[in-house]
Amino acid sequence: MKVSLFITCISDIVFSEVGKDSVELLERLGCEVDFPEGQTCCGQPAYNSGYVQEAKKAMKQMIRAFKDSEYVVGPSGSCVGMLREYPHIFKGDPEWEKEAIALAEKSYEITQFIVDVLGVTDVGSTFKGKVTYHPSCHMTRVLGVKEAPQTLLEHVEGIEYVELPVKEDCCGFGGTFAIKNAVISQEMVKEKSQHVSETGAEYLVGGDMGCLMNIGGRMRREGKDVEVVHITKILNTHEQGGEGHEYQNRRYSL
Amino acid sequence: MSIKIGDIPYNDRIDQGIDNEFMRQAVSSAQGRFRTGRLTQAEVLGDWEDWRQIGEEIRTHTLENIDYYLYQLSEQVEKRGVHVFFAETAEEANEYVENVIKKKKAKKVVKTKSMVTEEIGLNHALENAGATVVESDLGEWILQLDEDPPSHIVTPALHKNRQQIRDTFTEKRGYDQTDSPEELAAFARQQLREEFLSADVGITGCNFAIADSGAVTLVTNEGNAEMVTALPDTQITVMGMERIVPTWEDMEVLVSLLTRAAVGQKLTSYITAITGTRLDEEVDGPEEYHLVIVDNGRSKILGTEFQSALHCIRCAACINVCPVYRHVGGHAYNSIYPGPIGAVLTPLLDGYDDHKELPYASSLCAACTEACPVKIPLHELLIRHREIIVEEEKRSPAMERIAMKGFAQWASHPAAYKLSAKMARTALKPWTDEEFVENGPGPLKGWTDVRDFPAPGKQTFRTWWHNHQKGAKK
Amino acid sequence: MAIHNRDKFLNKLAANLGRPQRREGVSRPEYTVQPQHRVFKDYSTEDLIAVLQEHCKVIHTDFVRTSKEELTTRLREVLDKYEARSLIASNDKRNQEYGLDLAYQQFAEEIDVHIWDASIGKENQVIAERTDVGISFSDITLAESGTVTLMMNKDNGRSISLMPKCYIAIIPKETIVPRMTQAAQKIHANHQEGIEPPSSVCFVTGPSNSADIEMNLIVGVHGPVKVTYIVVD
Repeated sequence: MKVSLFITCISDIVFSEVGKDSVELLERLGCEVDFPEGQTCCGQPAYNSGYVQEAKKAMKQMIRAFKDSEYVVGPSGSCVGMLREYPHIFKGDPEWEKEAIALAEKSYEITQFIVDVLGVTDVGSTFKGKVTYHPSCHMTRVLGVKEAPQTLLEHVEGIEYVELPVKEDCCGFGGTFAIKNAVISQEMVKEKSQHVSETGAEYLVGGDMGCLMNIGGRMRREGKDVEVVHITKILNTHEQGGEGHEYQNRRYSL
Repeated sequence: MSIKIGDIPYNDRIDQGIDNEFMRQAVSSAQGRFRTGRLTQAEVLGDWEDWRQIGEEIRTHTLENIDYYLYQLSEQVEKRGVHVFFAETAEEANEYVENVIKKKKAKKVVKTKSMVTEEIGLNHALENAGATVVESDLGEWILQLDEDPPSHIVTPALHKNRQQIRDTFTEKRGYDQTDSPEELAAFARQQLREEFLSADVGITGCNFAIADSGAVTLVTNEGNAEMVTALPDTQITVMGMERIVPTWEDMEVLVSLLTRAAVGQKLTSYITAITGTRLDEEVDGPEEYHLVIVDNGRSKILGTEFQSALHCIRCAACINVCPVYRHVGGHAYNSIYPGPIGAVLTPLLDGYDDHKELPYASSLCAACTEACPVKIPLHELLIRHREIIVEEEKRSPAMERIAMKGFAQWASHPAAYKLSAKMARTALKPWTDEEFVENGPGPLKGWTDVRDFPAPGKQTFRTWWHNHQKGAKK
Repeated sequence: MAIHNRDKFLNKLAANLGRPQRREGVSRPEYTVQPQHRVFKDYSTEDLIAVLQEHCKVIHTDFVRTSKEELTTRLREVLDKYEARSLIASNDKRNQEYGLDLAYQQFAEEIDVHIWDASIGKENQVIAERTDVGISFSDITLAESGTVTLMMNKDNGRSISLMPKCYIAIIPKETIVPRMTQAAQKIHANHQEGIEPPSSVCFVTGPSNSADIEMNLIVGVHGPVKVTYIVVD
């Protein structure tokens, strides 16, 4: 199956490991992965701030970049959720509406793709550690992906999974909200950090680097010893290794 | 009072909310209970998504035909002895009510909790007309004695603790018992019972008016609305024009959604439909009844992409799940309508001048949209507000506009984008320590004041990808 | 009676909706889903009574089940439990059928009994205010929520269920329906056939309550503090 990686700008620029894990994971599951170099940002920072005209410029670039892709798969519920909104944003636009629909229809968040399209619930990974999972808001409530990440985590060998209290609560990231309403955002992330601590987990796992960067940044500031990892890292950790698999050499920035 | 409750600037209100430890604790615990109640009841009922669906369909149909249903309502209740006044503005509504009070030479008015009367500042008008106004909902009565605005649309005194309430009762009403909620409530019962019996006029809001047979439905727990509608000889109901449903059957569905979403009850203790004045030989209920139907800015929402905001049934489910509300409390919104629905509705009813920050007081987490029993896409409406503030009102900050123009250039030109990805690590170098930025420049400052920002990784994805591809081709 | 300012008001709404004002020709759509009819759909009366009894625990309401023959005795027990020195009851046609006429005469030997009397007007309210227990019949009983529906009329004042500290609802078994859906349907259907609803319809679910002080549930605020339902076979 041919899959185009939509790395998302945050992982492209800051968290390159997420892109690497995504590629390796998809390849291990038999996908032929390509990386359309013209991709940039889904446009969400502008769109959510009310700059629709500016956002559309980014969105058109994304439509162009993925025009020939069969599937577009990204390691973020939020960014993929944005792609899925394109038809609504370009509604009535004679030039772009059809293309927006085409992109939305072939775009998937990576765990959603693995479970719903590939039909795989056990990716054959092994991960030793006590893990809790933060289901990010846009992943669950905008994109509507609630089960897939947890289904995949449950099948990871050796994992000890603990439920995060009030897990559905926002971490306070919200893109520009974290800057524009920093004071409120700070209270929200403190609360989330507290909830993570209550689980006693060694790892906090999530499917959106924006949220993880926020929670991780707060926990680091508080001196907490919890490692924050994107779900693709857990799913890409396995004993056999594999061709092109170089996990051992990586060090996470968070 | 009007929609706006004060003149404190936005940032100060946020700080005051965050500094109010008791309030935050109270709100947090209330949210927990409300949330559990709503989720439990939704599960017990079953098919919750179907219920939300029919709720949305009823509201959509009603608002699309609101002129028809208001016409029908007015015809029906008139037949049943009710005077109907259509008020386009708050002033018109207040003036009409004032005239009724004056004509009846009323000395005392008892009221049920009603958001629309708060919105139009009716109490002030009543006092102008020379009447004493008594709020009879326990929470509203507490706030009235303390001259404090509501902070929640269902439990208005949520921000107050029992000691504060005891002190208010002691100071204003000579209360001399403990701060146990039971004793406080028993005192209110006794004090308010006298008010009900001596009131000349009862004033209520309206949860759902029923158009086809003509009725005003009130949904309460304390029994105060029963007293207000059963005892005084004159009754006035003030309703926001959108509080209407076509039939009893539609009312029933929406009440089932309201009581579950609001307080996690299957039904509240009292749901009363009043269809007109009392009939011959009846004792309870009004002999004179006025229905005031209020626009006050609602009509300009019709026909716009905000129309679904008028679908709101005032259950506060969105408020009860909102993390922003939890941390800043109701007063921070500076509106009698707080929380997500308040952030949507307030600028629509009262303009952007005093409320332009509200649409941004949300992380767009969509918990509100998910909780809404009539499926109002609240977080999307907040984005739409932002769009208007930026594109039509041109009120967004200059620096932000420049940044967003830059964003558009960056994100629509892959070459520029790629270059920045390559350079990011170097650019942040001066602030980076052990792979983290702890004291960032410019817009990063708000971030790094309370949390660290990661430095971009040493090897970019794109470099890795090229090597990876080469490896694969080998 | 009068209607003021209607045309101008409604014309504005219609204009904003982009069309002329509608005064006829609107009918409710067939809603795509109607979950309300599925709740307790195939429950027998006995099943519904079990639901009602169970829910009474949640709404702080005592539940009693009896026969017409035993009703007077059971009612007496509840009155004793409430230490009633006075009662007020509706002047309901069903009083005779359920033997309450005689019961009230009998109770009157020991406590103050007032049967609602339209001819004395407001005096009924004054009496209700000082009376310990109110008693009336439920017209439609909603099993799901534990609700009695009171159709008000000149012989059945609202004060009965509202002003006394205790309230007892007599629930004829045949009044029990699954939920509010059936009550609304009946009122709606009556209206369609030209039978107008009463001046007020009250759905009463247990005693009054409030959570306005620190979210603590307080049972008994303005209305009754104690409520008993007596289901009569």
